[in-house]
Amino acid sequence: MARVVVLGLASDFGCQVQMTNMEDHLLDVLGAIELEYWQLAASGHMPEDYDVAIVEGAVTTEEHVELLKRVRETASTVIAIGSCAVTGGIPALALSGDLEDRVGCVYGESGALVACGRILPMPVGAIIDVDYHVVGCPIDPAEFVEVLHRAIQGLRDAVPLEPMCATCKIAENTCFYDRGEVCLGLVTRAGCGTKCISLGRPCTGCRGIAADANFESAKAIVERMGADLDLLLERAQLYNNARKDLS
Amino acid sequence: MFFRVMDKDRLPDLVRGLAAEYEVIGPIAKGDEFVFAIVSDPTELRLDYDTTILPPKKHFMPPTESLMSFRVQDSEVVGEELDRTPRVLFGLHPCDINGLMLMDNVFLQGYEDPYYKARRESTLIVGLNCMPHEGCFCKAWGTDEVHWGFDIFLSDLGDRYFVSVRSVEGADLLDRCVETRQITPEDTAEFQRVASEFQASFEGQPDTSQVPLLLDAKYDDPIWEELGSRCLSCGACSMVCPTCYCFDVRDRLEPDGQEGTRERVWDSCLYIDFAEVAHGHNFRASRAARVKNRYYHKQWGYLSKFERVLCVGCGRCASACKADINPRIVIEALQAGGGSL
Repeated sequence: MARVVVLGLASDFGCQVQMTNMEDHLLDVLGAIELEYWQLAASGHMPEDYDVAIVEGAVTTEEHVELLKRVRETASTVIAIGSCAVTGGIPALALSGDLEDRVGCVYGESGALVACGRILPMPVGAIIDVDYHVVGCPIDPAEFVEVLHRAIQGLRDAVPLEPMCATCKIAENTCFYDRGEVCLGLVTRAGCGTKCISLGRPCTGCRGIAADANFESAKAIVERMGADLDLLLERAQLYNNARKDLS
Repeated sequence: MFFRVMDKDRLPDLVRGLAAEYEVIGPIAKGDEFVFAIVSDPTELRLDYDTTILPPKKHFMPPTESLMSFRVQDSEVVGEELDRTPRVLFGLHPCDINGLMLMDNVFLQGYEDPYYKARRESTLIVGLNCMPHEGCFCKAWGTDEVHWGFDIFLSDLGDRYFVSVRSVEGADLLDRCVETRQITPEDTAEFQRVASEFQASFEGQPDTSQVPLLLDAKYDDPIWEELGSRCLSCGACSMVCPTCYCFDVRDRLEPDGQEGTRERVWDSCLYIDFAEVAHGHNFRASRAARVKNRYYHKQWGYLSKFERVLCVGCGRCASACKADINPRIVIEALQAGGGSL
């Protein structure tokens, strides 16, 4: 059985909490792997050797960089989970503006001491190769289990490449653009089942930008439909600020 | 075919009578739009609907359906069920009935699809006449009328329905469920008047003559690049299309990893990986190539096999595509000489 470790970088650990929320299936999953370390939910120390590393959170310190390099040397399989790890997520918002100012804003004058070793936030994939991705903020437990099985079985990563609109049609949601409102679903990676939109909230892109997104066309659509282009650009930053091509 | 007349106030009798024996699916309101869904009460039915977000194909080929379940250890099939729920699809417009018949060509001819066939055989179709709405261009394809493909068809004559009965099952259910009467010459005259009014209500229908030839002539037109630059590759057009039938097949494991389900899911030729094959080669890697393929398949490829274009002019793709790509725009731009939109 695959020996698995779960570790967290800069994040609120919400995705690890989602793993505990698998309740009904947690024991099934634990029966299929050998869980050697789980930063959030188990005591004990990170072992020297393991097969699969599940990484949550964005890279924000030198220590993270060193840790990830060790992880990549040790694990045959690395799975990044959640927006922070996959896209840089919320931590990457600190890329806008001056990082030192922001550290001061949060930690006061002692910030230099508290947040030591800090670097500009970035996704895990910016430091090491990632084999599998579970996207979203937070992750969907069922999707996590699916990806974990794919990883254990050696199947290829199967993150959808297309944006969300097709799923939204399948859910028979009324399009926000038909009401002149901005929705980032035009370019956001599919696969969430349009949870937010089905509940009446426009997409803010937590699953990351689809590999085949056409952002230029999305901007043209927003302008043609008389929606708020600034709002589109702002929403595109929320989870995807580590990308430089969304302006 | 024979004809009866049913007073409109008998409609609830018909729906309740059907509901006693069948799962009744009809147009109901969802927000400002309409969807086909299970009708639990006749008052929910919105026979004044213009169109629905998804076409009725979802009741024959669901967006996600289980083909079988299997055991991982020895790859044995442990479950395979065909959906034979007795169903009535109530209130389908001619375009959608025509759409189903185009799907039938694919799933019931040559290589029969057992999953589609089981649902199709278990489902009765109750058609309903309509009036053209803004996006309709069914008349351009001749899909504004149906003469078969339904069990009964209701034409609204104001206070009554002119009922065309096409099948034995349709005749039976009408007998069992609702009181009808013989048609009179006045009923026939009124039916003819409504049909003529329907035909006269179409405005600005695109000229679809020689579209296949036009496509051949414009294969290398720059318009395809321009359409490609607009396309979001989102596949919304395929989902809402009553005639798009492409699917993908995926295996999904249960959380314990011991058993799994082989699922069929709707696919779209606009997705970037639609034409990707083993070792990663992609036959249609560019958006322009994919948009072009969509139009050539619908207006040419299918035609060459089944002598019909794969479009019924329902107009759903035109409202689903926020990038403003639809058959009308494409055909009109090609007819105008191509070059640009």
